[in-house]
Amino acid sequence: MYGGGYIPKEEARKAVVNDDPEMLAAFEERVARGEKVEPRDWMPTEYRRQLIRMIEQHAHSDIIGALPEGTWITRAPGFRRKLALMAKVQDEVGHAQLLYSAAETLGKSREAMINDLINGKSKYSNVFNYPAKTWADVAVIGFLIDAAAIVNQVANSKGSYGPYCRALERICYEESFHLKQGHSVFVYLATGTPLQRSMLQDALNRWWKPIMHFFGPSDEMSEHTLTLMKWKVKMATNDDMRQQFLSLYVPKIQELGLSLPDAELRKDPDSGKWLFGDPDWAEFFAVIRGNGPCNAERLAVRKAAEVNGAWVRKALQQADARYVTPLA
Amino acid sequence: MNIPHKSVPIADLHREPLRHLLTALADDHLILGHRHSEWTGLGPILEEDIAFSSIAQDQMGHALGFYTLLHEHLGAPDPDIHAFTRQETEFSCCQLVEWPIGDYDFSLTRHLFFDLAAGLRMETLSLSSFKPLAQLATKIRGEVKYHMFHAKTMVNQLGNSNDETARARMQTAINRQFGLALGMFEPRLGEQILDDAQIAPIESKWRERWLEALNAVLDGSGLHIPDPDRIEPVYGGRNGYHTEYLQPLLNEMTEVFRLDPQAEW
Amino acid sequence: MSVEIQSLDPRINRLGLHTHEPGSPDTLPPHDHWGTYQVFHQKKRGDRHTAVGIVHAPGAELAMAYAKEQFGRRGETANLWVVDTRHVMALDYADQDMFATTPEKSYRDPGGYKVNDKIDAYREKMSHEHTP
Repeated sequence: MYGGGYIPKEEARKAVVNDDPEMLAAFEERVARGEKVEPRDWMPTEYRRQLIRMIEQHAHSDIIGALPEGTWITRAPGFRRKLALMAKVQDEVGHAQLLYSAAETLGKSREAMINDLINGKSKYSNVFNYPAKTWADVAVIGFLIDAAAIVNQVANSKGSYGPYCRALERICYEESFHLKQGHSVFVYLATGTPLQRSMLQDALNRWWKPIMHFFGPSDEMSEHTLTLMKWKVKMATNDDMRQQFLSLYVPKIQELGLSLPDAELRKDPDSGKWLFGDPDWAEFFAVIRGNGPCNAERLAVRKAAEVNGAWVRKALQQADARYVTPLA
Repeated sequence: MNIPHKSVPIADLHREPLRHLLTALADDHLILGHRHSEWTGLGPILEEDIAFSSIAQDQMGHALGFYTLLHEHLGAPDPDIHAFTRQETEFSCCQLVEWPIGDYDFSLTRHLFFDLAAGLRMETLSLSSFKPLAQLATKIRGEVKYHMFHAKTMVNQLGNSNDETARARMQTAINRQFGLALGMFEPRLGEQILDDAQIAPIESKWRERWLEALNAVLDGSGLHIPDPDRIEPVYGGRNGYHTEYLQPLLNEMTEVFRLDPQAEW
Repeated sequence: MSVEIQSLDPRINRLGLHTHEPGSPDTLPPHDHWGTYQVFHQKKRGDRHTAVGIVHAPGAELAMAYAKEQFGRRGETANLWVVDTRHVMALDYADQDMFATTPEKSYRDPGGYKVNDKIDAYREKMSHEHTP
């Protein structure tokens, strides 16, 4: 699960172009022909840096994303829901594993990535810094946040970096199971008892703002953004993805007679675009800076998992062990 | 787990003993699967997290299989109601599975002890004269084979580690829960009747084979079990006597379900 | 300042965590997550094994135990191989030009041997010669 289109301004300013112009031209021709870039290919410095940042954040989002839903693992009602939620959260851990592996092929070790996560240096999707207060939150996360993630991931799976595309291909397949199981919980609550329905409406009201934030604010169409689009690192604009998500899923929410907490939300018949009220970008930036309701907890938990498992990893370590960059 | 929905005739004499056997198996797997699932997302490394989560899901699936047999052949309520609405005293799991997950050494050792027993149980039960149980046990057997591959590899490698602390942790975990593990083989009501009918052996037969198998598994690992004759087995679970940990676990597990047990979730 | 974390997740509360755990190491040492194994998956008997990704593992046995769940937890699997990444030699993509002319070497391909034209011409010729 991920919404990683947003590139902070200070990141964009770091881009320094001092690559060999001939190599750069050959690289850009390859990408323009629709060929994939593979791990040991020559690549522009900024291409490598942005891909590591993006894939790593995507991986962090999955491992941290296991926590809000994990909140309900021990309380899922009934065998089917319990098994499905266990499998779903397990898949998120599995996706993190696939994505860290893809990022490793670019030359950053998994340890370095996890260090950057638990030290707060590297970000993950803001949406996972919100709490899952009731069982209905599992429905909203599983249905709508996974749906948003699919929009993002399907776009990225057509990018230029081979290992990332291959990981996303499998991830998208598994996310379609998540979406179905999330939709199932969502529909059961929406069509269930008054209590179930009110739980769901309440969860929807609380999650709508983070969902609107999911794809990030409108992209600044800077030269940097355009270069990343040319290199097929960034595959769609944040606004386009948000519009696609709204078109696909608002009707599915409304058909169940549920409401969304935005009086201005409607489709403009002339432009075909969705209009919405101010999503409160100030809050988005505050959460990125670490001031969301659950940032501290999420990082502390991830750190605790690493620290508590350290003795197992250390004890199993072989004396002749040596790290090499994985192949693909 | 797909069980053919067809109830087979069971002699009156066998009904109660069979109910005790299946409830013990179902409750053991449910509670341990629940405990194991507490690790999902928090395991020592991503790969181990994924593997252990699968093992937890398998346990939960096996529990569902046993509750389904109870429902279809012995008139028990449907599995969700059966698993999610009973009180502590109505559970017949052994106390081993109730204990909190502790550190990974505790959970791993429990996984080894339990799955070694489960493997032996499924092997014998796959030959049970009660056919629906034989079919279910045959299905479960393959999954438990993987559990044992995982448990054996982990425990052996930790036992053989150059890291002295790790070896000590594993030995302590074994010592601490050995009496609890022996409690898995608490005699069941009417177990001799099932043994005579070749439905399931008495628990002491399984215990004997388990001790042999456990010694074989630990052979070469540098770890050892205490003398079983000097350790008091922790009994009570099969008769509804539980640790202080079970009722809170049940409260948590059923928190959402109890909001409305008649609702469809 | 360190505060005890009050989580909505009962599992987390049982861990008894604080926001800034004093004294706990902030960083993982290099190689803490072990080396990697390349995983090859065979779906059905008769199929080829296909490279599907990697697992981090301290040795071959655990690599296999982990590959089974990371790459075989859905759908069909007949068999798996795991190979220590250190034992795989891979060609550089920069050397892809070694293969550049291979598709042109028609003398290696069945399609490079088209003789039907010759046969047809021969048959045509023979039929004229035998016509009185």
